[in-house]
Amino acid sequence: MNLSPDQTIMFQAWGVPINATIFYTWVVMALLTVSAILITRNLRPDVPPNRWRTMLEVIVQGIEAQIEEVAGRRERHLLYYVGTLFLFVAMSNLLLVVPGFEPPTASLSTTTALALSVLIAVPLFGITSRGLGGYLKTYLEPSFIMLPFNIISEFSRGISLAIRLYGNIMSGAVIAAILLGVAPFFFPVVMDVLGLLTGLIQAYIFAILATVYISSATATPPNTEKENP
Amino acid sequence: MSIDWITVAAQIANFLVLVWLLKRFLYRPILDGIDAREVEIRDRMQEAVLAKEQARAVEKAYQDKVHALNVAQSEMTETIRKSAEEQRDVLLADAQKRLEREHDALKTHLDDEAQKYTAKMHRAGAGALLSLTRKALRDLADETLEVRIAHRLVEQAKPMVPDLQRAAGQATEAVITSQSSLPDLVEEELTSELRGAFPEVAVRFGTDEAQAPGLVLRVGGAQLAWTVDSYIDGLACLIEEQLTAGNDLRVKSHEQ
Repeated sequence: MNLSPDQTIMFQAWGVPINATIFYTWVVMALLTVSAILITRNLRPDVPPNRWRTMLEVIVQGIEAQIEEVAGRRERHLLYYVGTLFLFVAMSNLLLVVPGFEPPTASLSTTTALALSVLIAVPLFGITSRGLGGYLKTYLEPSFIMLPFNIISEFSRGISLAIRLYGNIMSGAVIAAILLGVAPFFFPVVMDVLGLLTGLIQAYIFAILATVYISSATATPPNTEKENP
Repeated sequence: MSIDWITVAAQIANFLVLVWLLKRFLYRPILDGIDAREVEIRDRMQEAVLAKEQARAVEKAYQDKVHALNVAQSEMTETIRKSAEEQRDVLLADAQKRLEREHDALKTHLDDEAQKYTAKMHRAGAGALLSLTRKALRDLADETLEVRIAHRLVEQAKPMVPDLQRAAGQATEAVITSQSSLPDLVEEELTSELRGAFPEVAVRFGTDEAQAPGLVLRVGGAQLAWTVDSYIDGLACLIEEQLTAGNDLRVKSHEQ
């Protein structure tokens, strides 16, 4: 029994082995992209919105509203990043119910990659927002003594993000596989239903935590604002 | 549980590609559509606000126009009312004057008719009186009326002779006029009586149809007359008294 889809080789491309994680990631990417293209191809001001476009607008505006609620402001670049994070994780977890599909989020490599991307995104957004000096200064707050703790905190965030998502999704898939052997009909269905719920919740938690981390790095410190006399 | 770092790198690359793809094919079109719709809604809201302001301005202009029209109508109504009152006063004054003129004309006409009727009555009364008197004298005394009138005039003149002579002065002619010519006997009697009183005065007889029945003597500035006018007036008074008494009786009989 393979606990990670990394160990499953789907095919070879130009001599490079493509494992199940990368393959199913491409499947999810293709699904998301094709869906987006199909839904938004007739997106013109003179065409009235249909139900698919309305659904997408609700999703996008919901994500934007969540980001605004957490960050306190509208940030389109953050929306692109966090929205993609949420849609990718949610779509991967929802496809868990498809027979034979192995969610990429059940691979520690994928969750590590997502956590690393968040780890990289936090300083990038912070530097973009505050400048290099302003961002580095946050590691010395409230005192320079806190520098090692801030660095450890930064890395522990990424590790916790990766392990949390991986653990939840992988455990759901493993439990479903075990129960499939023990009781082939009823329990796997129940566990898959629960897996859908936990998958969506995990996608939401992952996206919200990423938003919190990035917005905390980009937030303007209160003491730098000019006080009105 | 192991981490395949090549897969990690590939997944990071995949994720970044997915970010770009979704940004290109999902977020941009959706957000642009939302932004366009928000702009359109904002423009429509502004247009609605503008239209509302224009509608308010038009409403205010309309209200001002209605107010001005009401004021003009009130002024016009007041002017027309005053003009009508003035015209009514003028017409009433004209009608009053016309009524007064017609009333005066009617009164004048009635007075003329009354005078004519009175004159007619006088003439009829006088004629009837003379006829009755003449018939009574002829039947009872075998005399004519003219003779009795001449005697009466002579009897009136006798006590007044000194006064008549004084009034006559140096007159040389006495004129006796009657409504119709007198009988010769009467003329002779009158001539003899007057020559006794006025020996130097010639007597001449004449007629005057407008004169009342009777005789009128004129000597110089003096005049002595006996006519039936006084009798006629007395007769009219008598008839009026009788008529009034008859009316009273009739009223009393009705009241009973």
